[in-house]
Amino acid sequence: MRRGVLTVLLVGLLATQAYAADSIKIAITGPFSGGSAPMGASMRDGAKLAIAEINAAGGVKVGAKMMKFDVLERDDEAKNERGALIAQELASMADLAGVIGTVNTGVCLSGDKHLQEKGITKIITPAAGSASMTQWSKAKVKDLSIFRFAAHDGIQAAMVVEEAINRNYTKVAMLYDSTNYGVSGRDDMVDQIKKQGNKLQVVVSEKFNIGDKDMTAQLLRAKNSGAQAVLIWGIGPELAAVANGMAKIGLKTPLIGGWTLSMSNFIDNSGKNGDGTLMPQTFIEEPITPKAKSFIAAYHKAYKVKRIASPVSAAQGYDAVYIFAAAVKQAQSTDTKKIKLALEDLKEPVQGVIATWKKPFSAWNPDDETTHEAFRREQVVMGMVKDGHVVFGNDADRQRLIKNATSVKGKK
Amino acid sequence: MNQALMQMTVSGALMGLVYALVAYGFQLTYATSKSINFGQGELVMVSAFFSLTLTDLGLPYYLMIPGGLLFGVVAGLFVERAGVRLALEQKSEGWILMTIILGLFGFSAAENIWGRDDRPFPTPISSDPIQLFGISITPLEISVAVGVFMIMAVIELFKRKTLLGKAFEAVSADRDAAELMGISATRTIMLSYGLSGLVAALAGILISPITTVGPTMASALVLKAFSVAVVAGLESGFGVVIVGLFLGSLESLTSYYVGSGWREAPGLVLLILALAVRPTGIFGKGVIRKV
Repeated sequence: MRRGVLTVLLVGLLATQAYAADSIKIAITGPFSGGSAPMGASMRDGAKLAIAEINAAGGVKVGAKMMKFDVLERDDEAKNERGALIAQELASMADLAGVIGTVNTGVCLSGDKHLQEKGITKIITPAAGSASMTQWSKAKVKDLSIFRFAAHDGIQAAMVVEEAINRNYTKVAMLYDSTNYGVSGRDDMVDQIKKQGNKLQVVVSEKFNIGDKDMTAQLLRAKNSGAQAVLIWGIGPELAAVANGMAKIGLKTPLIGGWTLSMSNFIDNSGKNGDGTLMPQTFIEEPITPKAKSFIAAYHKAYKVKRIASPVSAAQGYDAVYIFAAAVKQAQSTDTKKIKLALEDLKEPVQGVIATWKKPFSAWNPDDETTHEAFRREQVVMGMVKDGHVVFGNDADRQRLIKNATSVKGKK
Repeated sequence: MNQALMQMTVSGALMGLVYALVAYGFQLTYATSKSINFGQGELVMVSAFFSLTLTDLGLPYYLMIPGGLLFGVVAGLFVERAGVRLALEQKSEGWILMTIILGLFGFSAAENIWGRDDRPFPTPISSDPIQLFGISITPLEISVAVGVFMIMAVIELFKRKTLLGKAFEAVSADRDAAELMGISATRTIMLSYGLSGLVAALAGILISPITTVGPTMASALVLKAFSVAVVAGLESGFGVVIVGLFLGSLESLTSYYVGSGWREAPGLVLLILALAVRPTGIFGKGVIRKV
């Protein structure tokens, strides 16, 4: 009897092990509820769409076997302490191939160290401020298993300043929220103005607090100083209060700022006052390339929506999975350390919905965190709010993407 | 520059009227029962969410308003019954904790029922600015001012002209004497909580189109309203309007002329000054205790 039980247990153990070795175990984490949920949930859904496609095609070929993805979902609720708990849980899993996700910088700061300790490969997407990567360069970490797949604040600030210069503005007002995110965004923009030749004069620099609804004072100062554009760094609800305040006092200059201006809680709360607002985007929900068309159609169909809550997050989640799958294929292993090495040196280009990724990452250099950052200036475009949607802000960007897509096809 | 001064004064004053309306809700219950609802901000927020739900169900704006106000009255009566009445009967200060707890309960309920996002509140009143003497003002903001003055005028008239209102005033003046005259203090306090709930609901409906609706929409507002109530004195309905207007304008002028980081400073300075110099409030009556 006893032997019988033991045999059953042993067989069971072997069976689960065999099962584990047959699949690529990947965790998707992010805020799936609460204020950051539009980003977290869109990222998760985009990533799961990619995984469903890969699994439907049989999976990734590792050795002689075709391996399918096995997904673990964890909701960090945008809370740092939840993020730390989840990271500890994931770090204790011996057979985990990797992690994709995280929206909030604080969650990265509290959780990623546990993954890094065990050398578990993580691709951060869709957001998180610069600190999520600079924490490693500042600590002079020699070997890093954390990668980032998002347009970092530096690129975004550069584009915001560039846009204002391209429009021949000379005087701008700068508004930012009083959080870390807002203040570092302002610093990035001020830096960029210097770097791009001091062509812009900041006539007003004003801050606002989370929860502020009346921005009349800041905006009236901007108006009276003759600012030609308002450059802004903040998040959804306060950005909407600024857009509504600008309409009220008749400040008809464009609002240009970080990618958070594409969040649904900005677009919905500002209504028509948000029209014309410009922000850097990695993906625009317009079917301009065959790949984008099939992605948008598949997303709408799978999740029964007419508008992706955060198209940028969805597309980044989708592409991150394909890049991860390419690394598994190249490593010929589900061992997270081997996948990390493969990610640092991807041989074959990965065709994603945002771009065709050629060597997105390289070996980690603590003096240059862009070695583990996939996005460069050319993968980011300027988006504009129009009638409740984000569309291309500059037609040149749109044409460039169409051209890129067709040239890749031509090569094949 | 003069125009900026005018613009900031008017914009601030409008915000100040909303502080005054919430403060008026404190004042109503304090007058009759010497107790206030520390969950007044949550009452504003929950009523706003309820009204939003009515709108989402397809009710037109002008029918939604009475629905929202009725909800406010019921919620106010509930607070009185569940959190205040027993404490007052036992002459204990338990109502402080009870109203805070009811407020927290309302906050969690709102998060779970309606979610944590800020949501727009549809209104037929235009938010396109019009120019009045060189000042930009939106019809929406005017509707806030009209609404605040109207409800306060109605309640003040009710207190002065009707029998029930006179009972209200009598209990406010001297509860024990009023009871000896055959006025039920319990019912009058119920009435004051009902009115206070009504005022909170109206505040929610009026400001939501401007501020959006979310669980934290009233947390900053209620602190300002509290300053207004304390500075004005909890005895005077007229006083809260004056102090509300003054504080609102002062805040907005400070953030324009001194800097947006100093916005909260005048309210706090005013509060400290009032507490130090005139603890009963500028418009408060000195309390005479006969031994």
